[in-house]
Amino acid sequence: MSLKKFSELFGDLDSINSTNNKIEVLKNYFLSNDPIDNSWAIYLLTGKSNKRFISGRYLKNLFSQIYEYPQWLIDTCYLKVGDSAEVITLLLKNKTTSTNKKLSNISLNKLLSETIPALSKLNEEEKNLEIKNLWEKLPEDNHLIFNKILTGTFRVGVSIGLITKSISKLINIDEEIISHRLMGDFKPSIDSYEFLINKNINLQELNSKPFPFLLANTFEDKIFQNSINDFQFEWKYDGIRMQLIKRSGNVSLWTRGQELVNESFPELVEKMSHIKDDFVLDGELLVWDFKEQIAFDFSLLQKRINRKSPTRSIQIKYPIIFIAYDLLEINGRDIREIKLENRRIDLEKYFSKWQNKTENNIYDIFKICDLIYPRDWPDVLAHKEKSRENNTEGLIIKKKTSIYSSGRKKGIWWKYKVDPMQLDAVLIYAKGGSGRRAGLYTDYSFALWKGQELIKFASAYSGLTNIEIKELDGWIRKNTIEKFGPVRSLKPEMVFEISFEKIQISKRHKSGIAVRFPRITKWRKDKKINDADSLENAYELMKKIS
Amino acid sequence: MTTKQEYLIRYKDGNLYCELADIWIDPSKPVKKALITHAHFDHFTFGCEEYISTKETAVLLKERVGDNIKIKTFEYGEEFKINGINISFHPSGHILGSSQIRFIFAEEKWLISGDFKLQKDQTCKQYEIVKTDYLISECTFGLPIFKWDESNKIANDISKWITNSPEKTSLLFCYSLGKAQRLLNEISRTNFEGNIYSHGSIHKMNNTYRELGIDIKDTIKIENKKKIEELKGSLILLPPSLSKGSYLKNFKNIQTAFASGWMSIRALRKRSGYDKGFAISDHADWDGILEVVKKSEAKNVFFHHGDSEALSKYLVEKESINVLLFRK
Repeated sequence: MSLKKFSELFGDLDSINSTNNKIEVLKNYFLSNDPIDNSWAIYLLTGKSNKRFISGRYLKNLFSQIYEYPQWLIDTCYLKVGDSAEVITLLLKNKTTSTNKKLSNISLNKLLSETIPALSKLNEEEKNLEIKNLWEKLPEDNHLIFNKILTGTFRVGVSIGLITKSISKLINIDEEIISHRLMGDFKPSIDSYEFLINKNINLQELNSKPFPFLLANTFEDKIFQNSINDFQFEWKYDGIRMQLIKRSGNVSLWTRGQELVNESFPELVEKMSHIKDDFVLDGELLVWDFKEQIAFDFSLLQKRINRKSPTRSIQIKYPIIFIAYDLLEINGRDIREIKLENRRIDLEKYFSKWQNKTENNIYDIFKICDLIYPRDWPDVLAHKEKSRENNTEGLIIKKKTSIYSSGRKKGIWWKYKVDPMQLDAVLIYAKGGSGRRAGLYTDYSFALWKGQELIKFASAYSGLTNIEIKELDGWIRKNTIEKFGPVRSLKPEMVFEISFEKIQISKRHKSGIAVRFPRITKWRKDKKINDADSLENAYELMKKIS
Repeated sequence: MTTKQEYLIRYKDGNLYCELADIWIDPSKPVKKALITHAHFDHFTFGCEEYISTKETAVLLKERVGDNIKIKTFEYGEEFKINGINISFHPSGHILGSSQIRFIFAEEKWLISGDFKLQKDQTCKQYEIVKTDYLISECTFGLPIFKWDESNKIANDISKWITNSPEKTSLLFCYSLGKAQRLLNEISRTNFEGNIYSHGSIHKMNNTYRELGIDIKDTIKIENKKKIEELKGSLILLPPSLSKGSYLKNFKNIQTAFASGWMSIRALRKRSGYDKGFAISDHADWDGILEVVKKSEAKNVFFHHGDSEALSKYLVEKESINVLLFRK
């Protein structure tokens, strides 16, 4: 019933690898704590608490001030630890001399609903004093959680699915129901927890919430053994996956990240509300090139995502479209259990009905996805290869007889992404990682030849195995030319195969090109630096694509 | 500006070397004469003509590598002379037999800390403060984020970790010489009552410790064909080299942990691949290093073993202690 208990839970979850044990630990936690603290625990564990009360930098400065620690020393420690909240926690050890740990039993609720929010109302001096005060009064083993909540960096290796499973086990109700209840806005309160563990399923309450999203698996070769007629083929758009819900006249836009984003896309909400029927659509939101009838680059969509109440001119500059690919509910009737091919028939039927009503005026903001009809599997591959031309990432393949279940169900939907583009590049800089990768050099910059010179063209940090990372880290330390803060320039010696999704001209980069999603796909130990690609190769690649 | 020849002890080919006495300290390649601070393998190499160490270190080394080496031994505090230099061993608190080495020549004192810790450890002699002019110290954990908990607290955590999972076999990985015996000694004073097994390499060291008069709990030597049922709820001590590879297939339903100072950092804990980490070390933490530097009253300090940049800068800025760099 306290921060202390929650700290223990965090420690347990952090050191247990087995999913079943984690579920057991969570279940026991929920059983032995009161509803309000449980609701806060769920709020924290599902990562809904990303509010940052103070920044990591602020926390480090404050510590440096109070305990007269040089800033550079804290920064050096940070490089090793990779998390401001944890650095300060480790440094605080044995520093808080007060034996009067008045807050050793503070409830999670009091801490999160009163103590921490109250900090925002204080001026800087009062705030600093109060944080110091809290450090003094909280037991040492609660400091980590406290600092993490303060800096909005509380994260633990627990998926929302795991929380869902443990609550489902706790009250013996289907996971789907729990996962439905956990969707969207979860406000910590006794009511929200009681709602979550309510044994009576109340459909009305579930009304505004989206269905759990069904996700696609990576394509497997064994699908080729099936008849092509068993599947429906769609383009894989690179936008925001979204459920568009209209129930009892109200429209809600839910992203897969369970965010309600009505405020960012008011024109879509407004136009969809004119439709007479109620419905739940699953689809993709994109910024759309109406002339070419293809999606614009994802970077344009980013200009819209985080902007609430966009002005008219923004709406015109970055015109959005919702492309529906599935109908999940129509006029209050949940049709997820109906076969995909039949849902598609309904989707087309309702779409043409809505389009024909001129007062709806939805033609410029809403359409349903076109289907692709390949003749055979080789033709599927041919389509996939063409996907770059229309700015899609590849194909989505769906089993026609499938029902709409939830999660990454196997054997129903597959994403078949176009092969990446690749260049062999030379490693020239490395930077220390953070979080799990703290203390290791894990952020790399790669260069291509321009005559006799190596020009940086991309940075990447994913793709190597842990063993390779350690090996490379050792090499980096021995082959550093110069250190600039956390960055080291390296002897050009190592060649890596870099894969990426898109390549385009960029004036901002010295190389003149920018690539999207660069990642390391192979450590080319077999290659010397003279075998690496040149910028000319990159330009050629760009020409070939466009 | 001093030249490297002026120092009594300097770095040569990556090792500490005293030219005047033609003697090396923990050399990593065969030499004529080697002073050995303690019996860990990263401080010992085969093929030296003569080794000099404490009595306990000599016994442990012979147990590990065989009798076929020539070791001269001295008691802690006993002075001996080589080429007019007075040399003596002093307890460093790292493991059984571990020592600091002091050199006195022409009224100039040099102290090589060896690996050391200040924390209480009932399996070896407590670190002895030795006054010196020049200090050469290790700094494996030379950042203020490293602060060790009392070892009895860690032992209790380990005991709790085992008893909380009675259905499992708990594998605790630790260095087979020193750490394992310290853990056994600490665990025997908790209320853990289950069976304790240890790997052959650890078992051997336990026996040697006992022969040298150290109180080490009796453990069962682990055999490959132990029944799974029998191991449930018990503790097995293994060397870290067995944590990867097929050895673990001998067990079912296990939980693993690593006992090391590095485990105090979450990122390292997560990356280590062990389920759990216990932050217990036979090296000094930040405060420990600072205490030794101050109490030794050294005017000049060198660091080796570890990243000493931050520690050096801190001592220069905050404590006005002269930190020197080895020329390699």
